Amino acid sequence: MDDPVQVQLLKQIGEADHVEGLRSLRDQAHEHMEALLPDRPVEQFNEQLNEVHDALIRRSIHLAEAEMARMGKGSPPVPYAYLLFGSGGRKEQTLSSDQDSGIVYEDPASDSPEVQQYFMELCELVVSNLQKTGYPLCEGNVLSSNPEWCLSLSAWSGKLEHWFNEPAWESVRYLLIVADARCVYGDEALLAELKDSYFTDMLETPVILKRMLENTMRHKVLLGFFGQLLKEQYGEDTGSLDIKYGAYIPMVNAIRLLSIQVGIRETATLDRIKRLEEASRLTAQEARSYEQAFRLFLRLRLMTTEQYSDGLYANNGKLSSRKLTREMTDELKSSLRLGKKLQRAVFKQTMGRLT
Amino acid sequence: MFKKTMLALGIFTLLFPVAAFAEDPSGATLDMGLNSVWVMLSFILVLLMQGGFILLETGSTRMKNAGHVAGKTIFTTGLAALIYWAFGYGIAFGGDSGLNALFGWGDFFFNPAIVADVAAGDTYPSTVFFLFQLAFAAVSLSIAWGGFAERAKLSSYIVFTLFFIAIIYPVVAHWIWGGGWLAEDGAQDFAGSTVVHLTGALAAFAATVLLKPRIGKFNKDGSANEILGHNQVFTALSVLLLWVGWFGFNAGSTVAVGEGFFGYVAFNTMLGAGAGGVAALLISWAVTGKADITTMLNGTLAGLVAITASCAFVDPWAAVVIGLVAGVLVFYSVKFFEKIKVDDPIYALSVHGAAGIWGTLANGIFATQALADQVGVGTGGLIDTGSWKQLWVQFESVVVVGAFVLAASFLVLGVMKMIMGFRVTEEQEIIGLDLSEHGAYGYPEQMKKAGQHIQG
Repeated sequence: MDDPVQVQLLKQIGEADHVEGLRSLRDQAHEHMEALLPDRPVEQFNEQLNEVHDALIRRSIHLAEAEMARMGKGSPPVPYAYLLFGSGGRKEQTLSSDQDSGIVYEDPASDSPEVQQYFMELCELVVSNLQKTGYPLCEGNVLSSNPEWCLSLSAWSGKLEHWFNEPAWESVRYLLIVADARCVYGDEALLAELKDSYFTDMLETPVILKRMLENTMRHKVLLGFFGQLLKEQYGEDTGSLDIKYGAYIPMVNAIRLLSIQVGIRETATLDRIKRLEEASRLTAQEARSYEQAFRLFLRLRLMTTEQYSDGLYANNGKLSSRKLTREMTDELKSSLRLGKKLQRAVFKQTMGRLT
Repeated sequence: MFKKTMLALGIFTLLFPVAAFAEDPSGATLDMGLNSVWVMLSFILVLLMQGGFILLETGSTRMKNAGHVAGKTIFTTGLAALIYWAFGYGIAFGGDSGLNALFGWGDFFFNPAIVADVAAGDTYPSTVFFLFQLAFAAVSLSIAWGGFAERAKLSSYIVFTLFFIAIIYPVVAHWIWGGGWLAEDGAQDFAGSTVVHLTGALAAFAATVLLKPRIGKFNKDGSANEILGHNQVFTALSVLLLWVGWFGFNAGSTVAVGEGFFGYVAFNTMLGAGAGGVAALLISWAVTGKADITTMLNGTLAGLVAITASCAFVDPWAAVVIGLVAGVLVFYSVKFFEKIKVDDPIYALSVHGAAGIWGTLANGIFATQALADQVGVGTGGLIDTGSWKQLWVQFESVVVVGAFVLAASFLVLGVMKMIMGFRVTEEQEIIGLDLSEHGAYGYPEQMKKAGQHIQG
């Protein structure tokens, strides 16, 4: 990275010794990134931004560990991996993303309640540190401080197996969330083992794909019958485009579903597209055009209305259509058409595999 | 056996001599009887449309106003009956005023003959005709209430009923149906797209403009918020009730059984309604990406409103086209009124106004000469005859009626607003009219719970 400000910021984040310090560094990073947004290529911008987020999260975890030690709770009793799901997992966080996290820890030799207790307390601290740093909680309570998402490796395997065998709506949603898991701190090997059992279960229950398909195709692309953009009709955001759920998420979902079927472990959508091309699931031409469309969605998503409330960075994923130039509107329309085409292709491929 | 039968018949004849010796009723009497049963049935159907309006208006508005919205419809229908009897009927259908082109005069405090005088050429008793016409006036009034919804004072309903039923509606009815000047010109409005629907809608427009939008309907930047009605099932059921009632409204407007022409009118009515709903659902789906139920319901009503003027004048294919256009029109009309920041809580302006205008004009385009001759009003339209004459007459009636109703309604409501006030206070509007105007909630359990929540 050739951005000296960025290098300096990452260094300072890595050395911060209290949460308030992290907070002010995040605010600085925000100012810096906002200034960069108009000029920098979106992929590079995204990478740089996610480096900052990762650094902030890592340091928050580190500070929480130190706090635990200071309180006399000792150091982590077994190795663990702190997992990010959602946009964090996909390395696609915006300037304002919420926390979606979990923990997997090595099976303790003995005294597992005590180990569980340690990690629960640790996660409480991590989540609260991140909140103080401006990351809102996940509304669906997918948080490491939730005992459902803070488990030992074997407990995780059991849970996955349960979800695979009982593909109710919730379970399918959780399975799709786990597909985006990425280890941001700790022992990567633990996540690798978790994913091993994920993909083994996957092969054993191919019918899950149909349920995943039904679950992910719920979000419709923002393109109307006449090829027009579908805008918000009412409320404060009248005339805005729901970029998050009408463009970005449908594409993320489609690419994820294709990737899961071939056991691709990358989580970032652009990386997944490359792997899909290598696995000959997409032609080179398709891959390029999907990449281009996705870059546009990422860019527009970064332009969506930022809301800053109660010290938290939030965002409703909606973009005022006034912010779009005519060229961008045309580009968005053709990208959305690609998104629709991709959805159809995924539907055909997935259903084709099952019959 | 034979003897016994003869004996029984003999006794029967002694007891009921009429059965044996009365003359058969004449064909004219039978005809009159059939007509009156049909008009009476139609009156009942049209009166039942008030049930539709109750559900339409309550379903499309919020819980806190439900009792008020529902109750006031019954009350004003009763009030309308008295005023129409005393005054309105005389203006619409009373004898020659000397200014017969503009309004009728006579038959005030209407005191009808108790039976029809077949010999004098009556085809039905004037009593059923009065009832039928009264039900139309009450429908027009209930349409006007759409513009009052959720914020007008109860007293303003009473005062406006007086002026609307005594003067505004009867004058328009006289112009087109009572032998007034538009009738002389051959204006075609079979069952009242203009007379009933456009008149009601324009009164609603004047009211909603003078009242200004409900609290929370529009944001500072001019964007609109969706204030959803509290019960979509009510709204859907209301459309069914109105739809059924509409067969009295349109087919009943033949006011004769004759050779069964009313069946043709009913047939076209059905096609128009279906086409309106289908078109509205499809257009909302195509344009917004969501198949909107409210829009579909509005479309069905718009199809009915539009076909009301033309149901007796057009071919079935034209009825479908008229309905389809009405369905699309109502969708864009709702958007238009939102854009110009006119709050139309139950979509009266779009459903009854825009579709009413379209239905009236549609006659000028689609009416056929054969059907115009059958009904005996005006001539064929542009497509059948190639002549613009009828379209011009239709246009004229829309413009003139529109101007009159708007001016009269703005005058009455404007003066009312100055003298006695038109809108409830902000506090009353927020608490809801059930409590502020009547002292009791329409949904006591739910609303009390909500109230406690606010206080706690």
